[in-house]
Amino acid sequence: MDFLGLPHDASVNGYRIDHLINETSFFVILFFVVTAALMLYACLRHGERHQASYDHGDTWKSFRWTLAVAAAIFLVVDGPLLVESLTDLREVFFNFAYAESQPQAVRIEINAHQWIWTARYAGPDGKFNTADDIVTTNDVVIPQGAPVIIQITSTDVIHSFNLPNMRMKIDAVPGIVNRMWFEAKETGQFDIACAQHCGSNHYKMKGTLTVLPRADYNRWLGEASANSSRGFDPDDAEAHWGWDWAAYSRI
Amino acid sequence: MTAHNETGELQPIHHEPTSFFLKYLWSTDHKMIAKQFMWAGLVFLLIGGTLAMMIRWQWAFPGAPVPILGSILLRGSGGVIGPAQYMTIFTTHGLIMIFFAITPLLIGMFGNFLIPLQIGARDMAFPWLNALSFWMYALSLVLVIASLFGNLGPAGAGWTTYPPLSTNLGTPGSGQTLMVAAVFVTGVGSIMGGVNYVTTIIRLRAPGMDYFRMPLTIWGLFLTAILNVLFVPVLGSAAFLLLLDRMFGTQFFIAGSVTGAPAGDPIMFQHLFWIFGHPEVYILILPAWGIIGDLFSFFSRKPANFYRGTVGAMIAVTVLSAVVYGHHMFQTGMSPMLGKSFMVLTLIISIPSVMLVLNWLRTLWGGSIRLTVPMLFALGTMFVFGVGGLTGLYLGAVVPDIYLHDTMFVVGHFHFTMAAASFLATFAGLYFWFPKMFGKRLNDTLGKIHFWMSSVFITLVFGGQLLAGYAGQSRRLYDPYQYSFLTRLHGLNRWTSYAAFLLLLGQFVFIFNFFRTMFFVKASGMEANPWQVSTLEWAIPSPPPYHNFDTIPIVVRGPHEFANPVVLERLGRDWIGQAEELPEAMPGSARKAGT
Repeated sequence: MDFLGLPHDASVNGYRIDHLINETSFFVILFFVVTAALMLYACLRHGERHQASYDHGDTWKSFRWTLAVAAAIFLVVDGPLLVESLTDLREVFFNFAYAESQPQAVRIEINAHQWIWTARYAGPDGKFNTADDIVTTNDVVIPQGAPVIIQITSTDVIHSFNLPNMRMKIDAVPGIVNRMWFEAKETGQFDIACAQHCGSNHYKMKGTLTVLPRADYNRWLGEASANSSRGFDPDDAEAHWGWDWAAYSRI
Repeated sequence: MTAHNETGELQPIHHEPTSFFLKYLWSTDHKMIAKQFMWAGLVFLLIGGTLAMMIRWQWAFPGAPVPILGSILLRGSGGVIGPAQYMTIFTTHGLIMIFFAITPLLIGMFGNFLIPLQIGARDMAFPWLNALSFWMYALSLVLVIASLFGNLGPAGAGWTTYPPLSTNLGTPGSGQTLMVAAVFVTGVGSIMGGVNYVTTIIRLRAPGMDYFRMPLTIWGLFLTAILNVLFVPVLGSAAFLLLLDRMFGTQFFIAGSVTGAPAGDPIMFQHLFWIFGHPEVYILILPAWGIIGDLFSFFSRKPANFYRGTVGAMIAVTVLSAVVYGHHMFQTGMSPMLGKSFMVLTLIISIPSVMLVLNWLRTLWGGSIRLTVPMLFALGTMFVFGVGGLTGLYLGAVVPDIYLHDTMFVVGHFHFTMAAASFLATFAGLYFWFPKMFGKRLNDTLGKIHFWMSSVFITLVFGGQLLAGYAGQSRRLYDPYQYSFLTRLHGLNRWTSYAAFLLLLGQFVFIFNFFRTMFFVKASGMEANPWQVSTLEWAIPSPPPYHNFDTIPIVVRGPHEFANPVVLERLGRDWIGQAEELPEAMPGSARKAGT
């Protein structure tokens, strides 16, 4: 039964999404099974030999009964989904204020093209689009246990930056900078996938998310930054696609 | 002058044209136009289904030559589907199924055939516009076929046609231009049809046919037509602006470094598309709800439970459908405030939906159920619609949608509603009204085989999609197994594909039944009202005469008058027609209940 179930969750907050999905599944399956059983029972027991009752079911009593059942189902099934979604959004997924306020937070700018993910780190100076920026291709490296904030856009068509093992996804739209944040709980290598149809090689728009322990991450950052400074070419305008982080980090 | 005569004079009886051209091609008879939609819709349903089989083949056996079809359609590549061809296949599959198969069958065929017959009119309000509506649709079919042979390649931007991928930047071929044009043209046809349906239902109801005496089928078609008139123009505007971007170098929907700032907004297209697109899913399900609502009553031999509540729920869903479209765009970077608002509005839809299901259930409960072929298909529709509706909950809430957005879970969800429910309801209606259209019945045994193969395998196919999406498979992947977290799904996808192939096989049972009945069974000996039901169309001969009603009927009661003890006593049967006078009590018999 390996094909059943969500992919491995390597994130700190992914459990909230999994919990909501599973909780909804419980109620949905329960409601469906009861309805289908009633339908089946009616078909088997209220068949041709059963005397049909002459009932239009349009009395006030009938109406109140129907409305009450519909409202009860709404409260039980939709209620938790709605309330917990709003809580999760406020506490975590839309809570960029928390992520930005963490001193150890990592900031990455991503530019999507057909069919490549290019990532940019600010480097030691903490400013984007400068000589010491680290730029990688289809390769995003992050530390374990720190908020990772991503700002993302696209050069050509719409893509969608999808981290199934982190339960995170956001569209990369040309002309717009979108953002998301997450935090990795485990180290390891995970898939970066494109979730939005972006042309014939959409299925190959694949990258690797590497989660390292903090010390290893810091070492990688130092080496990569030194390499990037050596490869910096001030005349290569194409390579300077970074943007001012603060302009899009409004809370 | 009575209302009766007025309506009759407004609709004089014309003679049936005898020339081939006016009788079969440029016919203004709603029944012939319905048959035109039926033939074209069924053919394109088969084409769209065949394309789906190619997608399923690719996921079961990636890169292997497609048997049979490959040697015909994919000669250049030795029968193998390439990534670019795969794009074309799923794009064309989606557009054909939505705009050129389900729409013409559910709305074009049933709308045209049933509206005048069930409300007691001699034809549509605008017969000529009706013919034009069909021929606009036919023109769009030509454009769809032409798009496959487009210079620089066919369409490939998905049925949603999101720019910038759908501009020359992503799909430079003229095939994409022709496909967008096809959607625009068929949209014009839909608007013509919608205006016609709305006008007909408002103006041409027979005397006594109050709104709350109309069959639920008519309510479904009425609300669908209203949505069509309101929202297809929005799709038209989006398609038109996209055509300008493609052909005249405008930049309405192009942005990013390819344009040089300032530029247009790709997200604006998505707003326009989904303002139409969300009502569209209800456009495709409302007639189905109407049909099965009527059939449940007819074959439970019992009045539809809480008719006005069902109508009210359908109206509520129609209104809400206009204000929830944002849930398609949760991951586009939409403002959190908007996201939350759309989430709340979306989840509210579950209240009227549950009311509908409860009313259906209570119609069945305590009935005297006849499991005829149309009834089986109606029950199947309710079953798959249940799955489709409930899986929508996950996607209507922002948090689960972060993970599930753009996965096969979405695909499974909308296939259960738009494909499975609409598909089974189409067949429910087709088996039910085939005797009315052609004066003969489809074979019951073959119909039952068709039902079981269709409903079981359609559930397995789309259930397999839900499971694949739950496990993380994105939509529209040429080869999902490129991703390491998806390699475990190969077995699931292959078994889902086997179910799909059997689903197609089951359709050949219908095709055989259909052609056998149509051409080799004599129209004779069928009872005038084989299902023993009360709506107006069954009170006239089958197939109906050119002018439908010799005299316009006067409607005296609602559409679901079953199991009435007084009727049983005086007529000896459990139903009475909508325009049928209840005879006085037999002399001497005891009066049991008032009338």
